[in-house]
Amino acid sequence: MTMNKIKALALALLPALAVNTQAKGLMDNMELKMHLGYNIGGTAPVGMPASIRRLNSYTLQPNLVLGVEADKALDDRWGLTLGLQIENKGMKEDARVKSYHEEVVRGGEKLAGMFTGDVTTEVTEWMLTIPLHARWQATNRFSLHAGPYLSVLTQRKFTGYAHDGYLRVGDPTGAKVTLGGDESTRGDYDFSDDMRHLQWGIDFGGEYRIWQRTAIFANLSWGLSGIHHSGFTAVEQTLYPIFASVGVSYRLKHR
Amino acid sequence: MKRYFYTLPLLAATLTMSSCFKEEPLNSECDITHVSLHTDNPLATFYQLSDTAQNVLSTDSLISFEVRRDHEADLSLLTPTLQLTPGAKAVMTGSEVDNATGGKWYYQVVSEDGHWHRNYTVEVRPMARMTNDTVRFDFEHYELEPKGHYYVWHILRNDGSSAGDWANGNPGFSLSMGSAKPDEYPTAPLADGYDGAAVKLTTRSTGPFGAWVNKRIAAGNLFIGTFDMASALTDAMKATHFGQVFDRQPMTLTGYYTYQPGPTFQDPKGNTVADRTDQAAIYAVLYRNHDDQGNAVTLYGDNVKTSPQIVAIADMGMVKPTKEWTPFSIDFNYLSDIDLDLLKQRGYSLTIVFSSSADGDQFEGAIGSTLCVDKVRLICKKEQ
Repeated sequence: MTMNKIKALALALLPALAVNTQAKGLMDNMELKMHLGYNIGGTAPVGMPASIRRLNSYTLQPNLVLGVEADKALDDRWGLTLGLQIENKGMKEDARVKSYHEEVVRGGEKLAGMFTGDVTTEVTEWMLTIPLHARWQATNRFSLHAGPYLSVLTQRKFTGYAHDGYLRVGDPTGAKVTLGGDESTRGDYDFSDDMRHLQWGIDFGGEYRIWQRTAIFANLSWGLSGIHHSGFTAVEQTLYPIFASVGVSYRLKHR
Repeated sequence: MKRYFYTLPLLAATLTMSSCFKEEPLNSECDITHVSLHTDNPLATFYQLSDTAQNVLSTDSLISFEVRRDHEADLSLLTPTLQLTPGAKAVMTGSEVDNATGGKWYYQVVSEDGHWHRNYTVEVRPMARMTNDTVRFDFEHYELEPKGHYYVWHILRNDGSSAGDWANGNPGFSLSMGSAKPDEYPTAPLADGYDGAAVKLTTRSTGPFGAWVNKRIAAGNLFIGTFDMASALTDAMKATHFGQVFDRQPMTLTGYYTYQPGPTFQDPKGNTVADRTDQAAIYAVLYRNHDDQGNAVTLYGDNVKTSPQIVAIADMGMVKPTKEWTPFSIDFNYLSDIDLDLLKQRGYSLTIVFSSSADGDQFEGAIGSTLCVDKVRLICKKEQ
């Protein structure tokens, strides 16, 4: 996802808001905001398997979150928020594994076995997300929210390589094949096409107003759908997107 | 109320930590990695000190030691010392070892986690005496390996006893082309050869995996030695360990062959080289298997024809394409005199190599090049 695409999306969203602002009746008790944030987290198994030993490195990715939201107050304390945001839940990490089930697939040929060594994984997941939150106004400035979200992925990438270790072909009694550290001797994999187009999960978070129209927010998006199709077995565990975002929101229209 | 806000990152952190790292799992491997045989006076039982111990390839389950015919030690009193993958345990499940003629010990090795096991045989036997002056290789004794992916060829001595297997690159090919059928491997049997079965070596495409690492072809090959799977991807030249101890003086290599080069020669990047025709390779090398410091020496793909350890080479050079079974006869060219004492002391190793693409080890050749070989004879100098 390039900056140009993000800009294009922001421009596309703004007229939609302008149209909505004119629908007066519906807009009573309605607050409109836009927000910009950053996602940090990972696609990870819930309940780390013992075969994953440690995280060697974690590299931040261009995980922008840009969106708009409409909040309808139900009473003094409660409200309902519906949003639309474009975001990336990307990750790049290198982990040490021991006897970890891996499948390397290339052009229809498959090499499977138990790998001991280092595995680098790079994930890109640009998506359009629709969050629906219940909001609870704790104080004049501070609110908490929770609720489901649904995401449609527009760009999917799940690639990586096993390196600096060895593979036991098939099972732990199979032939031992050394994998090196450079491009010609490591084992690459690409499971992008096995990723789901739809993801859903639960958000928890809060927002604190620091200035008249400006607030800062934090949100945890806990994925309840695995990032790969259910029949996908190349990676030992189901991987869930678990990301926290922090950022700034700006109120476009007051109630 | 601000403190509510500060609890949020904490909440997030707590939830994320539910994915934290667990205790290290127990090891699931169950290999013998090294075997040694101890005697008080090793050189009275073994020919060389280096014969008392050997590393075990992950693909091997039979480990053979050869001792002097007039060995001093009572072989039935020997106990193999095993090195295992960490945490594994070995149990001897049986043994049948005669004090004079040797025999076998049987082991089951169980992994630390208890889920996996492998069976091994360690064998000790007096060095077989070559009674004939001609060693015969007829390629009649082949079978599918235990998992049924590709064929292996056993070498039988003239008396019918096993002298190990021919080595070839099929195990490496299986890594890149797991979907290939046994007959689609580079090294395969030809049921109707010159005389009974022959061996058929075909240069094959290694498919998408091979292209991606610029190892696009696999030449069909067959050689005396071992193929080390561990190096197959990282250092293919080191995967071919050439040679087996040989205690006679080879003079001539003969046999029958057919050869058809494939239509399009390609370089390692897969580009067509228009003016080049593929070449097969048929050669044999005799070399000293210890250096001047007494270290054991094995020749690999990158020095099998250039090592200073080489004593004699029989190289056919140009293998003329022919569809008909054609006899060949190559004399060994001795670069230095042979030391007959050293020959008796197992100081020389011999390899015989057949390949459908001579530069296949550089991943250059023509897909489809086919070399068939049958009725190979190694004629040795008569013993006085």
